[in-house]
Amino acid sequence: MNLKIEKVAIDGVLVRMPYNPAFCADEDKTLLHGGVLTALLDSVFGLANFVAIDGISSMATLDLRVDYLRPAKSRADVMVRAECIRQTRHIAFNSGRIWFDEPDQAEVARGAASFALTRGEVSIFDAMTQSRSSK
Amino acid sequence: MTPDLATQQLRKVPFFQFLDFTITELAETHAAATMPFAERLIGNPIMEYYHGGIIASFMEAVAAISVSHGPDLQPPKPINLTVDYLRPAVKGALMAEATVTRKGKRMASVRTACWQDDDSRPVAEGLYHFLLV
Repeated sequence: MNLKIEKVAIDGVLVRMPYNPAFCADEDKTLLHGGVLTALLDSVFGLANFVAIDGISSMATLDLRVDYLRPAKSRADVMVRAECIRQTRHIAFNSGRIWFDEPDQAEVARGAASFALTRGEVSIFDAMTQSRSSK
Repeated sequence: MTPDLATQQLRKVPFFQFLDFTITELAETHAAATMPFAERLIGNPIMEYYHGGIIASFMEAVAAISVSHGPDLQPPKPINLTVDYLRPAVKGALMAEATVTRKGKRMASVRTACWQDDDSRPVAEGLYHFLLV
């Protein structure tokens, strides 16, 4: 997805997904498929949790709900803001929104999810990023 | 429409080429599909699990096909979705089926399930709503 992290904080993360014609639903390649927005929310929720919660080893999505507020018809970059709105020992709750990086910034989708957390010393996030940087 | 013809039509959609699935069953209110495993569909590279968003996208695609399939039909517009993730989806093919629970003039409601070796052990279940107008 070629995601670019723009802001990282305990109260939320902001991520940019550049336009990618492979993710479109139409032959004209201007309408982003809804599934891409869903996948994007799932990923960025994960990032928000790793940032906001200490000592997570891994996590699994329990459920995910997405409202498609309007057609995702644009070739602008997609912006996602996601936050962990509540954490317990075992569960994290997330909320996020998606818009295109264009003047009116109209919201395209909103999502909510919950994750089951596995706590431990070794973080899968560190393992992933280290294996990537060593390549 | 036959599953083969439906699969051919789907190849026109860039994102469906990315997912690279094949329709295996197609009936009035039902569709099933299979998707081969690929590196680009991984969400957890250590354990090689499928990405949750990919599973939701795959089920959304099959749900949309179960609602409307035909040479001239517009694809239904997705309104919202809810997915329950029940088990990790491991390296291997992923199967999905979708059944339309209600189709009215304006809206359709579709139930989906996704599994790997055993359809009684789903990796995810979904509920999708589509706008038909």
